This record gives sequence, structure tokens and C-alpha cells, in this order.
Amino acid sequence: MHTNGPVTVSAQVVDALCEIVGPQNVIHGDQELLVYECDAYTIEKQLPNVVVLPRTTEEVSAVVKLCAQHQLPIIPRGAGTSLSGTVLAVTGGVMIALTRMTKILEIDYRNRRALVEAGCVNASVTQAVKGRGLYYAPDPSSQSACTIGGNVATNSGGPHTLKYGVTTNHVLGFEMVMPDGEILWLGARPDGGEEVDGYDLRGLVIGCEGMFGIVTRVLLQLIRAPQMYKTLLGVFESVDDASQTVSDIIAADMVPGAMEMMDQLITQAVEAAYHFGFPLDAGAVLIIELDGLAAGLERQTERVIEVCKKNKAREVRVAKTEQERLDLWKCRKRAFGAIGRLSPNFLTQDGVVPRSKLPEMMRFIRACSEKHGLRIPNVFHAGDGNIHPLILYDERDPDQVRRALEAGHDILKKCVEMGGSATGEHGIGVEKIDFMAMQFTKEDLDAMRTLRRVFDPEGRCNPHKMFPGSKRCADFAPRKQIAA
Amino acid sequence: MILAPATIAEFSKALADANSRKAKIERVNLAALNRVLEHTPEDMTVTVEAGITLAELQKHVGQRRQWLAIDPPHPETTTIGEIINANPSGPRRFGCGTIRDYLIGLTAVLADGTIIHSGGKVVKNVAGYDLMKLFIGGQGTVGVVVEATFKLRPLPEVERFVSAECKSLEEADKLIESVMQSEITPIVFDLHQLSQQDGFTFVLGFAGTREEVEWQLVLAAKLGFTKPASLDHETAFWADASPAHRLSVLPSKIIEAIRGLAGVPFDARAGNGVIHHRGTLTRSADKPPLELTRRLKDAYDPNHIFPDLPL
Repeated sequence: MHTNGPVTVSAQVVDALCEIVGPQNVIHGDQELLVYECDAYTIEKQLPNVVVLPRTTEEVSAVVKLCAQHQLPIIPRGAGTSLSGTVLAVTGGVMIALTRMTKILEIDYRNRRALVEAGCVNASVTQAVKGRGLYYAPDPSSQSACTIGGNVATNSGGPHTLKYGVTTNHVLGFEMVMPDGEILWLGARPDGGEEVDGYDLRGLVIGCEGMFGIVTRVLLQLIRAPQMYKTLLGVFESVDDASQTVSDIIAADMVPGAMEMMDQLITQAVEAAYHFGFPLDAGAVLIIELDGLAAGLERQTERVIEVCKKNKAREVRVAKTEQERLDLWKCRKRAFGAIGRLSPNFLTQDGVVPRSKLPEMMRFIRACSEKHGLRIPNVFHAGDGNIHPLILYDERDPDQVRRALEAGHDILKKCVEMGGSATGEHGIGVEKIDFMAMQFTKEDLDAMRTLRRVFDPEGRCNPHKMFPGSKRCADFAPRKQIAA
Repeated sequence: MILAPATIAEFSKALADANSRKAKIERVNLAALNRVLEHTPEDMTVTVEAGITLAELQKHVGQRRQWLAIDPPHPETTTIGEIINANPSGPRRFGCGTIRDYLIGLTAVLADGTIIHSGGKVVKNVAGYDLMKLFIGGQGTVGVVVEATFKLRPLPEVERFVSAECKSLEEADKLIESVMQSEITPIVFDLHQLSQQDGFTFVLGFAGTREEVEWQLVLAAKLGFTKPASLDHETAFWADASPAHRLSVLPSKIIEAIRGLAGVPFDARAGNGVIHHRGTLTRSADKPPLELTRRLKDAYDPNHIFPDLPL
């Protein structure tokens, strides 16, 4: 395949790109390209040959057509917050960043819809509509930076998926530039009904990790914001007790909006960073958020407190003001940012186990931590079994790097063995290519490859991702890799 | 030919054989594949064979006070496979969504007999492409689902319905506005007129804790919803065996669309802009991308042994 070797982009092509988007929107010097050498998965790096910042769908289409003409790989990029290397330019190529397409185009309050450009930051949608009692539910922890287009690519989740689902449950339709440059609309249109004839093409593209084309405009479903939140913080002696609490809440027929767990290590780091008053010696804290009509919440809150106490909770705090509630969430959402206090580097892992198997998985992670001699704090979406063990290491010690990768591998393997998944939110990207064959049969993978060929027959759109047998960065630019 | 396999392995062989002979499959009957394979109440998930009826599935998980939060017509006779294929929905669509919001994993057999899996048993999963969406609403034209895993919800503590009648569509339009503006969060928001003699009747449904339902009933009464009701209108509409059409419009255009039906009986999801009726079928002016649709079909069923999607 033509895109298997390192890519060269001629000066002629760079000129043509400048013609389309304007020279100020074409980046092709090594120094300036450094920003784009990786996303938030920093273990593998590769410079794209050139980065283009189109301003309109037509410009995206023209750029894509030019790349098709010259058989160049294209790599779509939102904010580059991917934690799995989804935006890595494995063999170089033309990175198409949607940084200039950030507008909210239309808000239809009556129909509770918003039409946005794909580069629109996730949090700005809710920001724009919350004054009218609406919001956009999928709220990944990176929401103050990540883009709606990126959310579509990875079918992003966040802490509230237990009750509200993921991106695919809140995106009605979108405009997309196909790898040959054609502009299509998939799914419901801004002025059309929510049901459309034909296959769920919209659903097939959501979660394709940018491999089927470049999404340019997205029609979002907004929902009524809950009348009230009751946000509780349970302090537990152990992760086991906190995990059991999660199970018991579900068994009591309650579905909180969110249930997030942080273990001792991460709680200590977060407290040092944000001084919220988290206890430093608890085994685990559990944030439980109930939402809905005020009339229903009082009794539910009492029931949840009962369950916590039944599981030996040391204390249960209820946020008394909206500010307290927001501060609590800030700590959770910026937990990863607090890790710097604990370690120079960390590997964010992302796996899923059936909720009922959480205590077993937590024990396994502790065993892994001992086996590999590395600290592994945990912050995760306990409500849906989506774990985020954070494997701490120092990249200056190649042995630690090796052990960190091994520990991550062991944990994910266990997730799959327990009937879960190697990724709950972050996607496969390049990071988890090796897990695809563990989680799926050859036939499953072939069926996926078939789908890819339907959208991207030439395999030039975000190549070398997801599938076993992909080229790796190390094949091309070993000097840029951290020894592993 | 019509296939009625007893096992997945048998089905796989039969399809592989049909595919090699390019023999057309008119219909697949999965009645023999009708078991609940696994119900894990602690995880709120259930895995079933696709030939099970929705009613049977609900009865099973209902024993542990859970349900698959969809309510399409004829649950006693409609199978999970048929629901996945045709994507029907019912009144609780407004508050609960549709089957695509609950399907988290499946096993399917493709035209050449290949058995594939997509998704899994966990509610959060983004490994690989979302091939489940290939089958939802796909009418069995690119493969046949034989097993499916769903995420469940707890049965609500309490469910209540109330109705209000309007003499004119103008009045109905205003009532829709006031419902949307109020603080109630109904799971059902229907509008129907089952015969020309009837007025335009709204039905609101509330589900949840006793307190929140009662609170909403008080507010609904202030909007004019004072009559206790049920979902009998839905049963009545579907008691007629003749096929019905589904018209989907922007929710704010629903009254306009009902005017366009010119007195034909209808049963509509006022909050979703979805109208079921037996009038003339009107196809949306917006066509799905036909080239892409064709490529998808050709990729998975190159010999076209399954029917084509009616488009």
C-alpha cells in the first residue's frame, strides 16, 4: 500500500494547500509541527508532514480532495486530547486540524437541538444553553478542551454515562467530508425528524476513531437540565467497601446520574492540589450524584446514605451549595492533572469490567502494583465499571517504562478475561492495537475492516490505527520513541 | 427460501450454502432460538437469543424488578430480532429512547455464514467500530442478529397517566408549548385522534418515585391534564392489523404534519415529532446517501441473498 512507508509531501502540494486555506493556516516547519507530534498519548511521537487549519467545510473538502489526488494519508484532529494515540501521524501525512471551526452555528431551543462546527469545544455547548435550562449531556473529563468532532470520533463518555449514555445517544446527525472529498449528511438534519430512512450510517461513524472521514458539522440533541442535583461524597475505609456500595445502590433499583471513585493515593494528590477537604487517610472516596426532580431526591438521598453506612462509610457529606457541587466535580475532573505531585509520568489506563466484578478487579490491580513495583492510583467511573488505573513511572528509567507498560497490559488483559473491554472511553488508537485480537475473533475484525473499506476504500483516512498488523511509529523514527 | 434454524451453527451453514448458490432468502424464522442466556441483575444486563419475544424477555427480567426500557407494539408476538431489524418504538420513546440506546452487544450471522460479534456485555465499550448500528433498522438486509445483550433499567416505583382533550389543532399546538415549557419530565407525551369523531387527545405519562410522580401530576393538572388515563389508545391503534406508516418530523412541525394528514387517524409522539398513521405514505425529501448505502449492502451481501432495504 502506498501509505505504508514514511510519507513525503512535495512543496507543490504545500503551495496548493496554502491556496486553499491561506498560508497562515498551513504549518510545515519542524519547529511549529512539534505541537502536533502526538496527542495526550505521549509514548509514541511522529511529526505530520504538514498541518492544515481549514475554516469551512468547503476548505476541508478541497484539502481532502487534494490529498486524495496525491494519495496522501489524512489525519483529522480536534483538540488532540486523545489518550490512545488516535491522532498520531504514524507515517506522517497531512493532519487536518479543526481548530478554526469552533462555532456554535444554531441553537433551536424549541426542539432542543444545537448545530455546531466539529471543532466546537464540548463544554461551550452547555455553557451556551444552560441559561435556558438545557444542557449537552456527554461530559468527558477533558470537556473544557476536547471538541465535539473528537467526541464523535471516539464515542466519548464521561462520568454521567450510567444514566445518560454516551455520544452516540446524543448526536442526531452530522455533515462529513468523505476521504474522497465528497460532502455528505448522515442522520437527522437540523430541520428534519429524528428518524431517517436507511441504515444507521450516523451510528456506524460514531466511534470510528476518525477513520471514515472528517466530520465538519454536528447536530446535537440537548436535554432538559435536572431540576436539582444531590451530590454526595462517601468516605470509606477501603476500595472494597466503596465498590460494594456501588453494587448495592444498583441492587436497590437506584440509578444515580454518576458514581465516581477515587482511591487513597489519588485523593491525597487531589487534596494537595485543590484543598477541597478530602480526607487523606480514607481507603476510597465515592462521589455519588443523584439528579432529577427535587420531589424525588430527598428519599433517594436518604436511601443512598443508608447504603453507604451499611458498607461502613466513615462519613457521608452532601454538597450544600451549587459551588460546593462544582468544586467537587472539578477535583474529580482534574484528578489526572494532580498526578504531577506524585510522579513525573503516568500511564492512563482505561478498561471496563462488569460492575459486579469491580472489587475483584481492584484487588487484581493492587496485586499488579506489587508485582511490578509501581504505584497505581485509581480514579474511575464506578457506576459503569469503567476503570482508570493510573500507572506511575519515571520515563528516565527505561525499566520503569517497561514495567508500566506491562502492568497496563496485565490489567487490560484481565478486563477482557472478565468479560469486559480493553477500552471504555479512550478508544483503541495505536495504544491498544494488540488487544483487538484478544477481545475479538478474526471474523469480527474482518467485518470491521469491511466497514472501513466501505467508507475509506483506499485506507488513507487516519491509517495505521486500531487493527493488528498496523505499522508502528517505531518502525520509522526510533529516535523519537521512549524506550519500551 | 425461508430459513428456520434450530441452532446458530445450523444457521451459519445454511447461509453459507445459500450464499454459494446465490439463493435468495426471503425470510428467517428464529423461533427456535428463544432463550434467555444470561440475566445479571447486579450489572443490569441481559443476553437473549433473538427469537425471544419482547414480552418473554420483560417477564424474565421483571422478576428482578428490571425492564428493557422500550415499549413497541405487539410485544407478545414481536421478537427481539424483529425489533432490532425494524426499530419500532412506543409511547415511552419520549422518556426512554429507542432500542439503539440499550443494545450493548450482539452476535450476528452474515450472508456468507460468518458469525461475528460486536460490542460486548458491558455498558461502556468503545473497542472497535460500532457494528451493532449496522443491524438496527437494517431490516435484516446485511446479516441476521442471533443473540443480543441489552442494558436494563429498574422498573419505576410508580407510573401514572393523565389526559387532556383539545378541540382544535391550534389549541393542541399551544398545549404542546406549555408542556415543553413546564418543569414536568414526562416519559410519555402522546397526541392521538383515533377516529374523526374524537377530539385531539394528549396523554402524559410520569414514572419514578412516588413523590416525583405526584408532584408532576399536580403541575400537569394545572396545564389541563385532569383526567386519569392509560395507554389504551396505543393498543387500539395497533389492534388494526393493517400496516401503518411512521412519519418523523421536526417536533415543532408536528401540528403542521398532522394537518397534512387531513383527518386520517393517527397516534403520535408529540415530543419526538413521530406520527403513526394509515394515510398516504410520504417519503422524506431528504434522502440518505444512496451511493454509500449501496456500497454498504454490497460489502456485506455481495450476492444479494438478503432482500434490499426499501428506500
